[in-house]
Amino acid sequence: MRRKAIQFFVRRFFRRRASERDLQAELQFHLELEIRERMERGESSDSARHAALRDFGNIGLVTEVTRDMWGFSWLEGLIADSRYAIRMLRKSAGLSMIVVFILALGISTTTGIFSLVAGILLRPLPFPSPDQLVMIWEVPPETKKPNVVALDNFVAWKERSHSFESMAAFFNIPMNLLDQQQSEQVPGLAVTSEFFATLGIPPLLGRTFRPGEYWRDKPREVVLSYRTWQSRFGGSPNAIGKRISVDATHREIIGVMPPGFGFPNIEADLYTPLPVDPEEGGRNFSVIGRLRRGVSVAAAKAEMTAIAARTATENVSLNAGWSATVVPLLDQTVGSIRPVLLILFGATGLILLLICANVANLLLMHSAGRIREISVRLALGARRFRIVRQLFTESLMLAASGGLAGIAIAFSLVTVMRHSLPESLHVPRLHEIALDKTVLAFSVGITVVSAVLFGIAPTFHALKRDLIRDLHAVTRSVTSGRHVRNLLVVAEVALAVILVVASGLMVRSFIRLLRVNPGFHAEHVLTLRMLLLPVRDDQFHAEVVRNILARIRALPGVVAAGSIGILPMEGSNSGTWYYRADQPEPAPSQRPGGDVSIITPGYFRALAIPILRGRDFDDHDRRGSVQVAIVNQTAAHLFFPHEDPIGKRLRVWWNHSPTVEIVGIAGDIRHRQLNTPPNPCLFMPNDQQPFPFTSLVVRTSGDPVALTAAIRRQIREVDADQGVAKVETLAQLVADSVARPRVESFVLTAFGSIAMILACIGLYGVISYSVTQRSREIGIRLALGATASGVFRSILVEGFRLTVIGLVVGLGGVLLLVRYLRSLLFEVQATDPLTLFSVVGLILATSLLACYWPAHRATKVDPAVTLREE
Amino acid sequence: MPAHERYRNRVELLQGTLDLLILQTLQWGAQHGHGIAQAIRNRSGDLLQIETGSLYPALHRLERQGWLASKWKISGNNQRAKYYSLTPAGKKQLASEYSKWQLFVSAMAGVLSPAK
Repeated sequence: MRRKAIQFFVRRFFRRRASERDLQAELQFHLELEIRERMERGESSDSARHAALRDFGNIGLVTEVTRDMWGFSWLEGLIADSRYAIRMLRKSAGLSMIVVFILALGISTTTGIFSLVAGILLRPLPFPSPDQLVMIWEVPPETKKPNVVALDNFVAWKERSHSFESMAAFFNIPMNLLDQQQSEQVPGLAVTSEFFATLGIPPLLGRTFRPGEYWRDKPREVVLSYRTWQSRFGGSPNAIGKRISVDATHREIIGVMPPGFGFPNIEADLYTPLPVDPEEGGRNFSVIGRLRRGVSVAAAKAEMTAIAARTATENVSLNAGWSATVVPLLDQTVGSIRPVLLILFGATGLILLLICANVANLLLMHSAGRIREISVRLALGARRFRIVRQLFTESLMLAASGGLAGIAIAFSLVTVMRHSLPESLHVPRLHEIALDKTVLAFSVGITVVSAVLFGIAPTFHALKRDLIRDLHAVTRSVTSGRHVRNLLVVAEVALAVILVVASGLMVRSFIRLLRVNPGFHAEHVLTLRMLLLPVRDDQFHAEVVRNILARIRALPGVVAAGSIGILPMEGSNSGTWYYRADQPEPAPSQRPGGDVSIITPGYFRALAIPILRGRDFDDHDRRGSVQVAIVNQTAAHLFFPHEDPIGKRLRVWWNHSPTVEIVGIAGDIRHRQLNTPPNPCLFMPNDQQPFPFTSLVVRTSGDPVALTAAIRRQIREVDADQGVAKVETLAQLVADSVARPRVESFVLTAFGSIAMILACIGLYGVISYSVTQRSREIGIRLALGATASGVFRSILVEGFRLTVIGLVVGLGGVLLLVRYLRSLLFEVQATDPLTLFSVVGLILATSLLACYWPAHRATKVDPAVTLREE
Repeated sequence: MPAHERYRNRVELLQGTLDLLILQTLQWGAQHGHGIAQAIRNRSGDLLQIETGSLYPALHRLERQGWLASKWKISGNNQRAKYYSLTPAGKKQLASEYSKWQLFVSAMAGVLSPAK
């Protein structure tokens, strides 16, 4: 029955012309029948017709009331309103285009940022009951920041705690996967047996590791990610039971995880069992736990703190002063980016509000010209509701166009963000952002809200009119709302000043950063990150590296080749304590220390780092020969302020605590990032202190990337099981290391530009409106002999005044933000005069531009016309 | 004369009763708008005169609600006319409106008749 009604409605709507004809015919028939009956009763044809018509009543009204029963008069009204709205908007195409443009700008940025908020912060993690998942960390006595966990403590937690359904430790490490004689290093995760059960995701195929922790007799098993299964086994179910070589060990494939499975922020292609070896003393592991139903994070935290207090007294050498803490997995995953995203979201929301205020202003200015039209319609008896609906339809059409354009722009914005945000920014869950239903609903929502926001002011303004006065156009000196509009412009200019200053500073700081001399030459250097096989002994490591490098050096086009444990520009370095061997050992709290880099001969030459004194390592620095080291300038100054370090000896807390003899001084480099000044650094040869993390650096005469295949071949020929994780140029590493300031400069510049555009349009709107309102006054002035240039100047001064107030407020805001800005800047003062002066100049120039057209229009006021309007 | 006939012996229709009258009238077969008005007037002894401004909106509304169906047919005078007829749903509606009306009448009678 309800469906019938809808069918009826739809049919009627699309056949409404025919229905209209039917209705006419029906009523006509009624009338004619009435007339005939009256004539049959003996009335004359004329009197019958009159009586019938009189009885019938107002035919137009009957038709209309009947038509209302069809139930879509509102729809027809809407269509009529829309047609009218399109006509009106086309009539003022320039204005409409500006409005649609800035709305699209606001809606697209807000939608884009919301897609980040929705995908990263709001969407639950892809596990069953994700709220129960927590990370458990140790807490060191000094920093009190969550720290990776020792296996010994993991075992204690697992045995003693009651807050958790299950708990698992894991460790991410690249693994060498040998495939058809070509080894590749892929990201892997070594996990204890309950890892998959804790996350609550069963395998797609096969099984995962059996319960019970492994130690000595760890099974030679491996679980594949969906991606590896697809790329290596073509998605064949026969893969289960097959053997593959992982880190030169044959492992049986026992299971495949479903697509999309993965620990948040940790990419893994292989999962292997992690042996829980109590001898393994280091803190290296992450621990995930699933809370028992009904146990709160706070309760679990309290229990873990209590357990840690006990382990601290039981195992003093490992745990003295250490505690433990519990962090929800979602917080762990997105905690670092949450404040940034919320600030960005707030900022876009604010900008959208300003945009609405601007549009309201422009429409107000526009509707000032339509007052008469509306007054005439009101006078002819149009209902106020109809006029409101009409005006609101116009707002909605504008908002809808802006919204559509905005969503289209947001779509490309999201695509760009997904694919081009540099990996080195470490944005969590980036692949989960999308323009999905939630985000689309949000943009439709903000479109409608915008329409309401900017539609209200002009509508009420239109209805507040005094009919008689407007029809006579006696006066135009309406000043209501003027202060609000001026305030808006001042706020916009101030915001623009703050954002443009901030972006100017960021860009200058970024340029400074790029011009920093890092102490090495990044051009023509290829880096190959690899991790050597863990099953082999140290000396074999050293030999493999030596042989690989010897072969690479023999390749044509290679200038120098060496290796280093942790590459520059990765944001980190290895380090330890070291101190002079010829002086008494300092107390533990006063031990000096610094970075340690384990390198091979050729590293300094490959990066073109000068050896300032003494010598580089060479092939004679082997195991068994004198243990040698090279210090950088900073370390030389720190440890030997007024002496020659060459030949002096240092004690180093490294492996077997060697004493090393200094044979050379190397130039300082910025190792972590371009903006961190050099640390003291001690270089030791890989042959004497083999280090499992090894990256190759190769300087070439031509394009370094062209040599990639040849270098990979050399590695394979030395050791078929050794894979390469990542091949990048050093220049790329340097560029990635400044990804954050680059993105920050870009975002701030984008926001600054939007703010500038808004300030301009705001100023233009207000000044134009004021010119329209004052056209009579201007006309009188011109009639009384004022010159056009005088009028022009007076309008410019009006805009200028607002701009200057905005400038002052904005610069005040910059002063308030100085401390925050300073933390973002590199070698640029937050009150950098060049930037401040340029911004002031830019704002003044653009404000003049924004006021030019309205001022120009004011000079074209024809006194004869304005005065005649009286 | 017809001029003042209109104001004589008229009964104002109670709100909501027009639907019942129309449905009841159509119980005896399909009829066009004029015929329906005529039938109501005749059966009420000229006391109930249906305004066209009420009749046609009501007919179109009842049709939209699915209680009436309409068809163009040739009338007695060889003219095309729109005939309305009851749908099965309309018959049910008539029964329900009718019993409601009965209830209303007996309630009114109970209140208005002198207490015994």
